Amino acid sequence: MRTAETEQAIEIHYEIQDESEVVSLCSFYAGSGMFGIDTRKICEVLGERDLHCVPMAPVFVAGIVPYRGDVLTTVNFRALLGLDEHTGRSCVLVLEDDEARERFGLVVDAVGGVVMLSRDMLEANPCTLEPRERWLFDGAYKMRTGLMVRLDPLRLRPSRLAETGLFRQRINGGTDASTDRR
Amino acid sequence: MPDKEDVDDLTKEFIAESQEGLDRMERCLTELESRPEDGELVGEIFRAVHTIKGTTGFLGFDRLEKLAHAGEHLLSALRDGKVEVTSELISGLLRLMDGLRAILILIEETGGEGARFSDEDGELIAELAALKGQTAGEERTLPEMRQVEEPAAVLNPASSGSASGVSDKTLRIDVSVLNRMMNLVGELVLTRNQMLRSGLAEANFPELSRRLDSVTADLRETVMQARMQPVGNLFGKFPRMVRDLARTCGRSVRVEFTGQDTGLDKSLLEAIKDPLTHAVRNAVDHGIEAPGARMLAGKAAEGCLRLRAFHQSGSVVIEVSDDGAGIALERVLAKAVERGLVTADQAAAMSEREALQLIFLPGFSTAAAVTTVSGRGVGMDVVRANVERVGGSVEVESRLGVGTTLRMRVPLTLAIVPSLVVRSGGQSFALPQSALVELVDLPKRDIAQVVQQIGSAEVYRLRESLLPMVWLDRLLGLESCEAETRQGHYMAVLEADGCRYGLVVDDLVSPEEIVVKPLSAVLREIGVFSGATVLGNGTLALILDVGATAARAGVKPAEEEMVELKRIEAATEEVREMSLLVFEDRLRERTALPLSVVERIESVPMRQIEYAGGRAMMQYRGELLPLRDDGAVLVEMDARQTEREDAMVTVLICGGAGGERKLRFGMVVRKVLDVTGGRLLEGDRALDGLDLALVKEKVTVVQLDAELSMTAAWREVA
Repeated sequence: MRTAETEQAIEIHYEIQDESEVVSLCSFYAGSGMFGIDTRKICEVLGERDLHCVPMAPVFVAGIVPYRGDVLTTVNFRALLGLDEHTGRSCVLVLEDDEARERFGLVVDAVGGVVMLSRDMLEANPCTLEPRERWLFDGAYKMRTGLMVRLDPLRLRPSRLAETGLFRQRINGGTDASTDRR
Repeated sequence: MPDKEDVDDLTKEFIAESQEGLDRMERCLTELESRPEDGELVGEIFRAVHTIKGTTGFLGFDRLEKLAHAGEHLLSALRDGKVEVTSELISGLLRLMDGLRAILILIEETGGEGARFSDEDGELIAELAALKGQTAGEERTLPEMRQVEEPAAVLNPASSGSASGVSDKTLRIDVSVLNRMMNLVGELVLTRNQMLRSGLAEANFPELSRRLDSVTADLRETVMQARMQPVGNLFGKFPRMVRDLARTCGRSVRVEFTGQDTGLDKSLLEAIKDPLTHAVRNAVDHGIEAPGARMLAGKAAEGCLRLRAFHQSGSVVIEVSDDGAGIALERVLAKAVERGLVTADQAAAMSEREALQLIFLPGFSTAAAVTTVSGRGVGMDVVRANVERVGGSVEVESRLGVGTTLRMRVPLTLAIVPSLVVRSGGQSFALPQSALVELVDLPKRDIAQVVQQIGSAEVYRLRESLLPMVWLDRLLGLESCEAETRQGHYMAVLEADGCRYGLVVDDLVSPEEIVVKPLSAVLREIGVFSGATVLGNGTLALILDVGATAARAGVKPAEEEMVELKRIEAATEEVREMSLLVFEDRLRERTALPLSVVERIESVPMRQIEYAGGRAMMQYRGELLPLRDDGAVLVEMDARQTEREDAMVTVLICGGAGGERKLRFGMVVRKVLDVTGGRLLEGDRALDGLDLALVKEKVTVVQLDAELSMTAAWREVA
């Protein structure tokens, strides 16, 4: 786990070393799209794992997976995009944000690799995006092979996703029942 | 003097030790009030103060030393019998304790004792001197110490309850326990080394894993043991609190304890401290009436507050009960409606039990007047929230005019829970053993018969009560897999929050001790799972929250009256329970005789059976024994007897056990099945004057009046 200080140190390190402002992103795929997340936010790429489904969980929850003595909730990225279930096996990325100390998994089709990109290749979200996608996407990098959509891990946190209400197609009574339980 | 600096280790230790000493002193003081003759108590108090005095001198806390010194003087006089134990004396000593405690807290917070002789100290010392009596000449000089007057005394001696500093964060552990832990850790390391060296294929691998298992179990046990603290530590501070409270509220209250030795995890003990304090406060302020009112109600002027702790099925139950006025249901309901917590219609439809639980809703308080002690509307909801946070539950029972009992149930420990792993809809789930009452097998061929329908609800007739059935896979929206190929189901009878229901699952896997892992907030919100765990085979299982599952399925707590009824039933059942000898006489029919009637079971050759006047009899130990053959066994045997001469027949030799009737008789039976306990059914449920009993859940005819009918018949013959 990284502390705020090391985080800062890394940042400084980058600034000094790379004046051209290079960022490293981990690329992954879901459906036909390519996505990227800042490598500093990724704890580990777990690879293919068996997920344990949780009945009555919100749709975007893919299941739970054991990870270093904890049980992580995983977010199904395909479900966020409104895609059907992936036919093959899926990969799990373990993401961590240092503020909320919430660790969670992100289930994607496949993980590409680490790409170094310059910041000026980033373009903001187009204004015609759907609200869901506008929430999820955080601009896109123009690469030679195509576009890589940048994601903000903070917004992918399960608790955040639950708060927005954008991704709760299937109404599950769980949240209501818990409050009025005697 | 260490001022404003970090409290060093020595001082920390001193504070923890002194707090403990003062806790002991507090307990002893309140006991002393009821048993003033007890010299040991005085000795104990003396030692506590003396230790503080001795150590403070060494550490250089002058102010503390002076106060402790004054107290010691008084106590030594008390020990020598120079002063009498009076209420004033106790109050004075309690104030001394407060003073000492306040200084300790100051030391803990600031590192210094506040280098001032505040007015308070001087007065207190003077008071102690005065208490010591008129004879104490030299102590008269003590008030001189009021030289330096400090205007703002920052101390709050009443804050003894808020001493949540060093002493609460430290835990005393017997060195031997610690040594044992270290030994076990060493063992663990050795075992690991051996395991790493030997591969899976090695012959000694099973042995190694066995050792790992036992070492782990031992280590866990030891750690848990080290964390266990007697509940008495928590109870200890209540007598004083109750005493002070009772004075403030004008009540007369006696405190009784039971089960102080009950062990509870340190962190849990901390967690229930506030809820328990609150409950005690409530009981004194709202529960127990003023002495006058009590007399009018025909009760003793002195109210009684009972604190009880005991183990019950894997959890610790702590009860706070008073013999006060009880909770007036109408007022609860009226208040709840007034506060808009429930609608009038809802209120009208509520059962007694449900209505009582309303007091746990936020913003609820029935106190007519807000007193300084309680009644500000922040109350029972906080109690419940605190207890539930550690996985416990709270319930309240009350009887108007008789008293109120608040029951807190907390788990022994948080981390490891014995549970039963079940499968449903292709997934594993863990059910806490503490909620599990029994397991029922539902074979496929029987399922249509045992599952009965009331409207859309399914119920199972378990003994004499109907149990609502909840199908786990349906409840969770899981696909009930391979329904056709399944051999049957199992039903786990669960009980939580006063609800009892049968949870139907596909299969039972194994009982397992699981390590509880918390779920993320999103999954907690579902409200049915209390956590997850990794099972022995490495897969995950969700832990079912039994109470929440019941609520989700709509299972309501059993009505109070029902419980009452059952209690009465149970009482009568006990009476009607008897030992029975079960046998078969008619084909496929079970009959039983009270065991007390049967003297012997004899195997008799057929030819010894003789007949007279159409009745069978035999000679037995020199007397003529009439035989009863209800199942026509003899006729049947006769028919087969031709080829085999020495067919044997089983005869129960029955004697009139009670009364003078010496007349014995024999009962011819096909075979003896069992000797077992059974329960007679109520008369109205029995058929045509036959006495029926449930023996191992099977209907059995009991021949209670066997002797009587025989006697009559025999006379006829004679």
